[in-house]
Amino acid sequence: MFRLAVTVSALAVMGSVRAQAQMKIEYEDYALDNGLRVLLVEDHSAPVVTVNVWYNVGSRNERVGRSGFAHLFEHMMFQGSANVGKGEHFQLVERAGGSMNGSTNEGRTNYYETLPSNRLNLGLWLEADRMRSLAVTEDNFENQRSTVKEERRLGVDNQPYAPAFTEGSTLIYDSTDCFSYAHSVIGSMDDLDRAEVPDVQAFFDLYYRPNNATLTVVGDFDPAEAKQLIGQYFDDIQRGAEPPRIACNYDFEAGARSRTWDDQHANLPAVIVAYRAPPHSHGDTRPLTFLSTILGEGESSRLNRGLVRDEQSSVQAASFLNSRRGPGMFLALAIANQGVEADVLREQLNREVERIISEGISDAELEKAKNAFRASYVFQSQTSMQIAERLQHYIHYHDSLDDMATDLELYMQVTAEDIQRVAAEYLKSENSYTIIIVPKAGSGEEVVP
Amino acid sequence: MKRSERRNGGTAENTRRRYTLGGVAFAVSSMVLAGPGLHAQYPTEPPPATELRPLQFPDFHTTRLDNGLEILVVENDRLPVVSISLNLPGGSRYDPPGLHGLAEIVSELITKGTETRTAEQISEQIEGVGGSLIATANADFFTISSTVLADHAELAFELMADALLHSTFPQAELELARTRYLSSLAAEKSDPDALATRYFASSVYGDHPYARSMTEASLAAINRNDVTSFAGMRLAPTGALLVISGDISRDRVTSMARRYLGSWQGVAPEVLAAEPPAPKPTEILLVHRPGSAQSNIMVGNTALSPKDDLYYPAVVANKVLGGGADARLFLILREEKGWTYGSYASLARRKDVGFFRATAEVRTEVTDSALTEMLHQLRLMRTEAIPDSELTNAKGYLVGSFPLSIQTPQQVASQVARTRLLGLGDDYLGSYRENLAAVDATAAMNAATVVMRPDSAVVVVVGDGQSIYDKLAAIAPTRIIDADGSSLTPDDLNPAVTALELDLTHLAARRDSFQIAFQGNAIGHAVSALVTEGDALMYWEQTVIPMMGMTQETSVELNPSTFTSRSVDIVGSFGGRPIETHIVYQDGRVSGRAQDIQPTGEIATVDVDTSIVAGTIDLNLIQPLLPFLSLQPGASFTVNAFDAGSNVVRVVTLKVTGTEEVTVPAGTFSAFRMAGTIGDLLRQYRHPAPRG
Repeated sequence: MFRLAVTVSALAVMGSVRAQAQMKIEYEDYALDNGLRVLLVEDHSAPVVTVNVWYNVGSRNERVGRSGFAHLFEHMMFQGSANVGKGEHFQLVERAGGSMNGSTNEGRTNYYETLPSNRLNLGLWLEADRMRSLAVTEDNFENQRSTVKEERRLGVDNQPYAPAFTEGSTLIYDSTDCFSYAHSVIGSMDDLDRAEVPDVQAFFDLYYRPNNATLTVVGDFDPAEAKQLIGQYFDDIQRGAEPPRIACNYDFEAGARSRTWDDQHANLPAVIVAYRAPPHSHGDTRPLTFLSTILGEGESSRLNRGLVRDEQSSVQAASFLNSRRGPGMFLALAIANQGVEADVLREQLNREVERIISEGISDAELEKAKNAFRASYVFQSQTSMQIAERLQHYIHYHDSLDDMATDLELYMQVTAEDIQRVAAEYLKSENSYTIIIVPKAGSGEEVVP
Repeated sequence: MKRSERRNGGTAENTRRRYTLGGVAFAVSSMVLAGPGLHAQYPTEPPPATELRPLQFPDFHTTRLDNGLEILVVENDRLPVVSISLNLPGGSRYDPPGLHGLAEIVSELITKGTETRTAEQISEQIEGVGGSLIATANADFFTISSTVLADHAELAFELMADALLHSTFPQAELELARTRYLSSLAAEKSDPDALATRYFASSVYGDHPYARSMTEASLAAINRNDVTSFAGMRLAPTGALLVISGDISRDRVTSMARRYLGSWQGVAPEVLAAEPPAPKPTEILLVHRPGSAQSNIMVGNTALSPKDDLYYPAVVANKVLGGGADARLFLILREEKGWTYGSYASLARRKDVGFFRATAEVRTEVTDSALTEMLHQLRLMRTEAIPDSELTNAKGYLVGSFPLSIQTPQQVASQVARTRLLGLGDDYLGSYRENLAAVDATAAMNAATVVMRPDSAVVVVVGDGQSIYDKLAAIAPTRIIDADGSSLTPDDLNPAVTALELDLTHLAARRDSFQIAFQGNAIGHAVSALVTEGDALMYWEQTVIPMMGMTQETSVELNPSTFTSRSVDIVGSFGGRPIETHIVYQDGRVSGRAQDIQPTGEIATVDVDTSIVAGTIDLNLIQPLLPFLSLQPGASFTVNAFDAGSNVVRVVTLKVTGTEEVTVPAGTFSAFRMAGTIGDLLRQYRHPAPRG
């Protein structure tokens, strides 16, 4: 037993060293006079290039009364600019054989094009044109407001469990002490209705300036040529003022809270236990990541084995860590089987958590978590887009690109004791908010069968 | 460095243009902006493409084991990842007659248990190292594939070989798979796109094996022996191709292949390449879907064998016609006419012969206009050269997007495997972009005359026959079938419905309870009762669907000798709002007020006052009617039913689709499985069969 454990962990360390050696990413890091940070990664393994821009703004920057605005604004970035007509962005990328998109989360908004490498100039120009001259019209704005509201209706309001998951889990943060994380990315319907065209220009002027953006270019290009194009397209874009800082206060000992949540689309009760977690850059993120894998990710996880297979009390039981630039959240959740009361489920969820706190985890579980992490880390380093996102991640979530070289190794050094310790520290009832989802036909306004 | 020098030297035209622009820009920027650098001017138009970079398609090495297995290795040590895919000529085209779907079932079961591992152990082992293992079957090939970190390449080999050589195909797993496929087949019947795809394949390929697909009958006929004998016969090393790509040496691959697959023996019996049907004048197959609000149109024909050089110009022509939101079909049928949400064209490649197909889903009333326009656009592709701008855009996409599809070792492996399996030359991938770039308008037009044949095409339209038959028949000879494939005559589209012959000797008070299922999940329940009250027969039903916030109590007064309705009263609530219907049937008329839930969730109120033909029953009586029909396998009943909520008479067809064993707390019963089509809805019923 002892010997086996030693062999396995020696293998894991060897593997990780090897992965590090082969995954070192060489980059060039510089800034334009207007503050735009630029990262270049040459990789000639395929004639493909990714242009990827992160704006340092997400739902955490929204103010009271404008929840959902960062995402609504992201939609506006595809509506045209001084030299790109409505719908033309997509068409130009398609005709070049490329792919493109954008997305918003709590901490950032990203935009990207992956193109054959001879169209690097097109990707850079499209990003530059909207950074310098976004076209904001009343028509486009109304149109995108309804698109986003429809997105909310389809993706959240009309899905069982989604409102509690999306909105309920934000309850662990207090909206007066930390509005940034006390509301959802998609925002409320009322706030989406409140947004006005002048807000768009103000948001653009405050957050969409080069000094609040990072441009990464990854793939098959000549650095001198790329720098020349970046200078030509971006140099004369005006710098903006420094965006305001974010204030967020929270307490891991705030005391256990709970509430019920009526769900008109759910037909089985469910329980979500949300716990506050430290910001991503905190060292405890690594053991918390593994804790989530062991507790509730995959067929062989504690929750699936305990609640779904052994007790047969749940149709589904899982956990996950939403690690963010600011404070995060760790969720454990289960949907009841027919005839099972929510209270039973809540007890069983807590029992699985407490078992880890008191007894710890096995060596096999630790190895599985490490292997799964290492595999997904490596699998997600394959395309130019994945590399670009990784650089951006370390810049924004770690505030240090240097972490990129050591992070995987630090994950491989996590011990079973670390995992037990963070379970005790964060997955305690004083740090939790429990939401009991009650199926309630007809409790809401919008019902679409 | 060498690379970029070569590039600058090679793009005289583009380079010159850029430097010229640069000269102007210098002046402007120093005058006006006094800007930060000596840069070219900011362009107000999209910058032009520079020269296409050469595509270095990875080298690959091939070897062969003594048992005939061909091995292809793409060494790539950029990342510690290894992808394995074992491809065998064992796709659905090898399904024995009557057992269509067998290859797919085998692929579903092959990872579900071996002599030494349970299904759970297999998934735990592969998940434990963060890897994946999956088997699939398409028309030509059977594939088992796995992706893992390089450290675990041996485990991937071992699990794949174990599944291939020692799977036990447990009976319980077969039954699970059968149940899952049966419910997806049932769902397919109400999915117009799935129906169109099924009947397009059977029409375009005629007697060729590509024509066949899984049916309820073939699924029921497949037993464990069929599964093991297919696996034993078809999953043989001769003709198989093992493709490994990633961070692994070819020597290591060879030694692992010998260790794990060296003992694998066998030769799959040869199957002669079948001939596709000879072209014949365009005919329309109308799949009647009563009440359908839209028509799904597919137009096409068999096209090219894999090695045909016409492939490149055909791909360009196809892209111009219907390869996305930037192509003719989309721009005309959607953007210009507003007939459809989308309309596209595609070229499918198969080992024997592929097919060309154009598709559109259109509103019922424009079905004939849309089909006419599609055929017209096909003809234009054959007769008029593609204008330069369209040709440039189409080639831009095709040439440009190719490198994006070979970024990862798995993508490389699958491209190389496909090339090999289709028998294309080793230089195929390396010269793919150049071959596309070389296509001109004449070549594309010539290819279109071969692959787009509007006058000898197969047309499948799934839609409401009553509304569209006459208009389609004016375009081309039209044959009609129902969703099950049975032939219909034009008269069947307007069924002369007479009163049903009912066997009322079974009439007796009864009480039933039902579970209401949606996609296999219980979402509510219903209780119904039939009782005699004086000279009347009362049918009462209570339905509760918590998920929809729906409760409803229905009472119908009936004439016991004819089973026709006298009155219907419904009281209920939906999402907290009351909903009521009160209607009376008298002297060939129905009148009253009805409320119904709209797709938007709104409750609509309808004043009903209309005449109805004799024999029309209330829609609520379909369920209680079942015991009084003379049920037997294959029997079918058509009845007019008045749907008060929509104020229309619907033609309801009930069909006995099979028998099955149903287990309830009271025991196991033999039951008839029935399907009823009511407008766009397919309803399933089960009713006890007489014993004996």
